[in-house]
Amino acid sequence: MTFNLFAAEEQAIEQARLLGERLGAAAPDLRAEFDALVEAFQRSTREQRRLVRVSDRLQAQLGSANQELERRRQEAESALADLREAQEAMVRAEKLASLGALVAGVAHEINTPVGIAVSCASHLSDATARLRGRAQSGELSKADFSRYLTTATDTTALILTNCERAAKLIASFKQVAVDRASAERRAVHLNRYIQETLVSLEPKLRQSRHGITVSCPDGLVVDSYPGALSQILTNFVMNSVTHAFVDAQGAEGQGGALTVTVDEPEPGTVRLVYTDNGRGIPPDHLPRIFDPFFTTRRGEGGSGLGLHIVHNLAVGALKGTISVDSAPGQGTRFVLTFPKDTPPEDGAA
Amino acid sequence: MESLKLPATGRTPEVDFDFAQGVLRLSGESYPDDVATFFGPIFAALRGFLAEPGGHPVRFDMELLYFNSSSAKALMNIFQMLETAARDGRSISVTWCYEENDESMQELGEDFAEDLHHVAFTLKQIPADGAS
Repeated sequence: MTFNLFAAEEQAIEQARLLGERLGAAAPDLRAEFDALVEAFQRSTREQRRLVRVSDRLQAQLGSANQELERRRQEAESALADLREAQEAMVRAEKLASLGALVAGVAHEINTPVGIAVSCASHLSDATARLRGRAQSGELSKADFSRYLTTATDTTALILTNCERAAKLIASFKQVAVDRASAERRAVHLNRYIQETLVSLEPKLRQSRHGITVSCPDGLVVDSYPGALSQILTNFVMNSVTHAFVDAQGAEGQGGALTVTVDEPEPGTVRLVYTDNGRGIPPDHLPRIFDPFFTTRRGEGGSGLGLHIVHNLAVGALKGTISVDSAPGQGTRFVLTFPKDTPPEDGAA
Repeated sequence: MESLKLPATGRTPEVDFDFAQGVLRLSGESYPDDVATFFGPIFAALRGFLAEPGGHPVRFDMELLYFNSSSAKALMNIFQMLETAARDGRSISVTWCYEENDESMQELGEDFAEDLHHVAFTLKQIPADGAS
């Protein structure tokens, strides 16, 4: 037996037809009216079938539209997740690249004292050889010996100070580089740490004859993430060097004045104000400078991640806030405020 | 008579007809691709069960959360079969379950109840999210 949703209706119609025939014999004058009634019921049944079919089709369309919608939503969500992942990867790459720049800066800085020490040692070595020659040939005079002593005293002093300077640079750089790479929390003497960070930037600043002034209370110790602080400061300075003093031709300008001013507006809170006296940031760029990939130097190797990383570190690692204040021709001022002792992660033991 | 048990699929409800106990249950959603394939065997089994002599009481639990129009028509036909059996003297009760806040399913139940005079029809609210 085939299944038929409208079996009962069809059966009723069939019965009505049979009844109609009997009625035609018994009361012929009622036949036409009765047939019209049966006809109306048949129409109504057909209409029901159509409605059920149409409605089922609509439901199926709705169902597949919903499925399609859900599929697209999942696609969009997975695309968004991919994008976030790519963005994070780029931020990590950018941080590594800036670590590379830090290494280059310090290498350049160390080159000078090491170079001086090498040439002094070479000079001393030559003088010693000459002295030995004269002594062996029995021609060593008192004046020769006295001259040699002067040379030896001067060169060894220079070697010593320059090697000490190199050792100091390496020590400070080592700590900054480790902090930068490890992102570990520790207590640091803020003033000293700022100075150490600026060492790696010295070549850049000197090359463009920018001056930087640091004003920081000497006893201020923060228990925080020094790598983040160092990265933020480096990005501030690099931003100024790259953008603030550029002339109309796009050449990097010279002789800017940068300042780093640290104070404690209230106990437990550190405020670091960084300024440059450059050309300032156009108002239409200002709301976007912390956005990832916002750059005015897309074609020239700008990643647009520098200040985004600053924002991330300020809000994320340091659990602080950052704001910017700038107008064309008025220089730029960043205010970084963060807790002196970084509070522990939420939910972390 | 053999019980009829069908697991739910994405488009058809779970069928649990325990004919020996006289307890029948449909639960889930119903919008089958082919209404005849799904409801054909159900109708055949139900017709066979109702035709059996003995006539002990029947309880039918309808726990449908969603159904399409041809399923609605199929339900109406099931109710007519039950109504006919009840009119012939069998004790038949139907419980129409609807989730709280699902007013349209409640109204559909009330609508079906209007055609039933011999079947004992009960509306029952169940907690949302399918827990019953």
